Amino acid sequence: MWNRTLVSAFFLIMSGPVQAVVSTGIDEDAKLPYWEIRSPGISLRLVQRLPDQTRGYFMARGFRSEDAEVIARSCVFQTIFRNESHKTRPDAVSYNLKEWTVLQAGHERKMKTREDWEPVWQAKGVDHAARIAFEWSLFPTRQVYRPGDYNWGMSIFDLRPGTVFDLRVSWRQYGKNHVATIPDIQCAPDIHPDTGAMQ
Amino acid sequence: MCAGYTSGYGGYAVMVCNGFRIFLCHFLLLLTYTVSAAEPGQTLPVVPQPFPAPEFSLKGEGGKQYRLSDFRGQVVLLNFWATWCPPCRREMPSMERAWKILKDKGVVILAINVGEDEDKVFEFTGQYPVSFPLPLDLDASVVRQYRVTGLPTTYIINPKGLITHRTMGSRDWDQADIIKQLLDMRQQKQGVE
Repeated sequence: MWNRTLVSAFFLIMSGPVQAVVSTGIDEDAKLPYWEIRSPGISLRLVQRLPDQTRGYFMARGFRSEDAEVIARSCVFQTIFRNESHKTRPDAVSYNLKEWTVLQAGHERKMKTREDWEPVWQAKGVDHAARIAFEWSLFPTRQVYRPGDYNWGMSIFDLRPGTVFDLRVSWRQYGKNHVATIPDIQCAPDIHPDTGAMQ
Repeated sequence: MCAGYTSGYGGYAVMVCNGFRIFLCHFLLLLTYTVSAAEPGQTLPVVPQPFPAPEFSLKGEGGKQYRLSDFRGQVVLLNFWATWCPPCRREMPSMERAWKILKDKGVVILAINVGEDEDKVFEFTGQYPVSFPLPLDLDASVVRQYRVTGLPTTYIINPKGLITHRTMGSRDWDQADIIKQLLDMRQQKQGVE
C-alpha cells in the first residue's frame, strides 16, 4: 500500500462544498492511463481507450469502417462512476452529462451524449442494431445511483487523438451540488495506419 | 491547501507540498485506501414506491418464449446485460451460483440481453457458462419499457408482480445476505414488507 502511496501523485482541488481528490495512474485492468476523482460519497474514473480498440469494438457491432473511424478518432474514455456512500453516509447521487464541461485551449464546450450522436448515425444510415449497441455502450446521459450502485460506459469527448483537456464535472448528493475539475486529461494518441507514426 | 502542478506523460500530477501539507495528503490517501478496504456486505436497494413490472414476451435460446406473467407467484431477478459490458460479465458467475441455490425455491433469474443476437450470446456462454434463461431484447424495446439507462441493471420483482428493488452495477449474487433477502421475499403478500 505504501509503495502505491509513494508512487501515486495526488493533488487537491477545492470544489464547491466538498474537497475532491484527483489522481492519475495506470488502470490495473486496461493497462492504460486513468484519471480519477474521489470525493466523499462518489468516485469517477476515466480510463483511456486506444483508437484501435474503439475501431475494432464498433466494427464488430455493425459499424462500417468509416463510421467506426469517426468514433475512434473522437477521444473515447471508459467511464466508471460509483456511488460509494454506502461505506460511510448513504445517500443517492445524480449527475447530468449535459452539465459537464470540456475545457480545451481556452474554449469551453459541452459533452456529446448518446442523444447527440443518434441523429448523426441515422443520417449516415447506420444499421439499427449497430445504433442500439452504440447507445448502450455510451455512458448514460443522466443517472441516479443509490448507495452501492455504479455504472460503466464510454464517454466521447469529440477531440483529436493526443489532445490534452480539463473536464469540469458536477453531481448532486447530500442535498448539494458538487463541482470539481480534472485537469490535463489526455486523449489516447492514434497510430497512423500508413506510416505507423503517432498522432 | 496544497498546490499542484502536472508534468510528464499522461499529465501525472505531482504534489508540491511540505510539512503539514505532506502529512495531510498522506493521511487523506491512507483514509481513501482504508475506506476502500472496508467494503460492507452488499444489499439490494429498495425502490421508494413499488410499481408493477411491465409485461414482456421475448425469445431466448433455441427460440424458447419467455413471458414475465408466467412467473407470477415467484420472486423474479430480472437482469439487463450485454456481452460487451465488463460489470455484466463480472456478475454472471455469481448469478449462476445463486441460480443453483435458488432455482427450485421459488426464485427465478431472467437475464435479458440487450440488442445482441443469439450467435453473440451463444459465443459468450461458451466462455461464461450459465444455465438460467437468457431472453433476447433484440430491438431494445423491453429495456426502454423498464426505463433502464445503463447496464447492468437488475430489478427484483416480488410474487405479486411488483418491482421492489433495483441495482445498478454488478453484485455478488451468491452472497449470503442477498440470497437470504431473495428467499425472504417469497413470503411477501403485498408490496414491500
